[in-house]
Amino acid sequence: MNEWVIETKGLSKRYKGRYAVSNLNLKIARGDIYGFLGPNGAGKTTTIRMLLGLIKPSNGSVHIFGKALNKDKLSILRRIGSLVEYPSYYGHLSAVDNLEAIRRILDVPTARIAEVLDIVGLAKEARRPVKGFSLGMKQRLGIASALLGNPELLMLDEPTNGLDPSGILEIRELIKQMPKQHGITVLISSHLLSEVELTAGTVGIIRQGELVFQDTIENLHQQAKGSISLSVSEPELAMTLLKEHGINAIMNDSSILLEQTNNETIARMVKRLVERDHSIYRVEEKRKSLEDLFLQIVGEGKRA
Amino acid sequence: MMGKALSSDFLKIRGKGLWFLVFLGPIGLVAMQALNFGLRYDYMTQTYAGQLWETLLQNILLFVPLALFLGITLVSSQLANVEHSSNAWKQLLALPVSRSIVFSSKFTLCVILLTVSCLLLAIGTTVLGLSLKFNTDIPIGDIVRLCFMPLLASFPALALMLWLSLTIKNQAIPVSFGIVAAITSLFTINLSEYLPINWPIFAYLGPNQELFAGAGLALGAAIMLIGLLHFNGKDVG
Ligand SMILES: Nc1ncnc2c1ncn2[C@@H]1O[C@H](COP(=O)(O)OP(=O)(O)OP(=O)(O)O)[C@@H](O)[C@H]1O
Ligand SMILES: [Mg+2]
Repeated sequence: MNEWVIETKGLSKRYKGRYAVSNLNLKIARGDIYGFLGPNGAGKTTTIRMLLGLIKPSNGSVHIFGKALNKDKLSILRRIGSLVEYPSYYGHLSAVDNLEAIRRILDVPTARIAEVLDIVGLAKEARRPVKGFSLGMKQRLGIASALLGNPELLMLDEPTNGLDPSGILEIRELIKQMPKQHGITVLISSHLLSEVELTAGTVGIIRQGELVFQDTIENLHQQAKGSISLSVSEPELAMTLLKEHGINAIMNDSSILLEQTNNETIARMVKRLVERDHSIYRVEEKRKSLEDLFLQIVGEGKRA
Repeated sequence: MMGKALSSDFLKIRGKGLWFLVFLGPIGLVAMQALNFGLRYDYMTQTYAGQLWETLLQNILLFVPLALFLGITLVSSQLANVEHSSNAWKQLLALPVSRSIVFSSKFTLCVILLTVSCLLLAIGTTVLGLSLKFNTDIPIGDIVRLCFMPLLASFPALALMLWLSLTIKNQAIPVSFGIVAAITSLFTINLSEYLPINWPIFAYLGPNQELFAGAGLALGAAIMLIGLLHFNGKDVG
């Protein structure tokens, strides 16, 4: 028995000679919330389409629930709920009928429709034609459709797209509960680390079709190195002094910035400055935010 | 599985004007002949005395291929548009239903709708003949042949139009093609009988009717199979 709910090996998709996704080795554990991050055009949607069998990989393989997607597609899809890119809906039908059209294929009890509408907060609008819905309401309907078949695995491509802040919060809470209450594994894509930071256990970062980071969110935090910022009475003089003592620092406005943060260096530096009668106003540790780190990881490719 | 997909498809076409089209075709054809016979009743009944039913059927036959081709074009396009218009393909095809079933279900739905249309034409024709006080010796066999043999012979068109409509997002392309083909069919009758566009008429007229209907079924099945294979392998954007 394979421990990964989703495992891809060398997954690639080529469009007209250009790789939209290349050599992706995703590993997503059961019960995890996996944040799949990357800037526009990084290949998130393309990857999710391949995971759902909507498009054929140019190379590589997809295993879901330990089974090969190209062999057991239908039995795998029966256990997945998905929302791909902008919402899909039948505009002339009401929310209930939209779900009914899907229910007839999934063969779940009719009562499930009211349940999922309630979960996404659409119960009151259930009878209106969906073409009159706002983007956020359509997005909610999409999430309701994904939940309809009691899936074990949810693949949500930018599910909070178009939602208002309270809607984003609701969906975030909803997603958070999935593994706890129902043992559901969630794959959720986003441009923003901040959006999955609070929910995801693991993040995968994709850049120009390549997976450049895949680890737990704790390990990502570890990578967010801190720096020490120092504000003193005479920064220029202080800089010269630090240089004489071989301490590498940079001036940033009127404060001094140190990349090294080990205790000895800081202690030595403070001592030297105090000896020379510098007034030290503040010694602050500045942690790089995760978002900065994310932007750095994502940005590295562009300079290359 | 087919039943589930079909019941889902029946739900999805609600309010899409498909049933309206189903009624419009036969009612239009019958109304035309009601005018034709009603306006010059005396002339028609005298000139064609003793062969009124035949004349009525002949007159309707002239427009049956046109109506069939137009109906096939509009029905398959409208049916496909239900999925195209709101990005529904990616949702539908990520459900646990094979693409073959999805395609076959749409095909079956088209056949059902067109069959209802043809049935209405048969009923309408009978009612028209009776209300025009033709003799009560109703040529039921001929009426049934008139309404259903051309349908069988037009399966190649149905398979082709459905395939085009399902795989081309811009419905202007299959619809224009279908309409041009439908109008062309009015002028091709003197050309070779090997042209599938003429098969609906030959499936009622002249010798070898069964052959034309059979050939239509066979070619339709072949085109449907090719379309199915293409649809199965297609990337869903
Ligand atoms: N059908 C297609 N034909 C050609 N190129 C494509 C096709 N689909 C996607 N691409 C290309 O693949 C790359 C990845 O696109 P994809 O939609 O997967 O990005 P994404 O990470 O989902 O971006 P976004 O955050 O904007 O949704 C892009 O450069 C895009 O232009
Ligand atoms: Mg995308």
